[in-house]
Amino acid sequence: MEANGEPAVVELRIPCRPEFVGVARLAILGVASRMKFSYDQVEDVRLAVGEACTTSVEWAERNKRETADILVRSSITDTKLTVDIIDSAGEREEKPAEQEKEPDEESLGALLITLLVDEVKVAPHDGGTHVTMVKYAGQ
Amino acid sequence: MNFSIDTYNLDSGVPVIKLGGEVDVYTAPQLKQKMLGLLEAGAGQMVVDLAQVEYFDSTALGVLIGGLKRIRERDGNLALICPSPRIRRVFEITGLDKVFDIYSSADEAKTGMEASP
Repeated sequence: MEANGEPAVVELRIPCRPEFVGVARLAILGVASRMKFSYDQVEDVRLAVGEACTTSVEWAERNKRETADILVRSSITDTKLTVDIIDSAGEREEKPAEQEKEPDEESLGALLITLLVDEVKVAPHDGGTHVTMVKYAGQ
Repeated sequence: MNFSIDTYNLDSGVPVIKLGGEVDVYTAPQLKQKMLGLLEAGAGQMVVDLAQVEYFDSTALGVLIGGLKRIRERDGNLALICPSPRIRRVFEITGLDKVFDIYSSADEAKTGMEASP
């Protein structure tokens, strides 16, 4: 999969809008299918990327960033898939504690991501958020 | 977009929302509208049929949770038909398989709902 020991990189940039999340899922399905993942693992990656992009879309709506976009970058080796999801959806402000009583879509989405991939990292990025997910093949 | 939404009734008259394709942030609002419509029309029981669904995410789960809460406020129930192990897995991972009554077929749903109205 690698060329000269470097991971192969596939990138997709989509508008940060609901109707395009499916495009990102399809692309990641294509990427993950080329690795030694089981059917369930490919589905896990597809769902996790879908959830991360959905979170970006929701924040873009909240922050009224109508021209926001999402860069979905997949780096693949024979054994490791790294997906970087970088949006320009604006800042993600923490909810005040009293609003966190019941599980809601956002926390369900975050829960799903942590259960579906092996590593997750979320960090603020210039004008948005950078999520990194890693899934190891053959596990 | 690969998505379809339709309604039918079980023999007992319970309305069923039948979904197909991908239910996500873009298409889940249509499910919400359909559920609200049935609730406003007085539905005390409801079923959502996921047999033809091939993708179901947290937005869709959120809509189902919202519908379940509303219908339980009127002492009703919302059940699911979900024969697909892959879609059922989303409920299992999130623990929502313990919150919803999930049946493998319309017949099972009908029997199950008659037994516990």
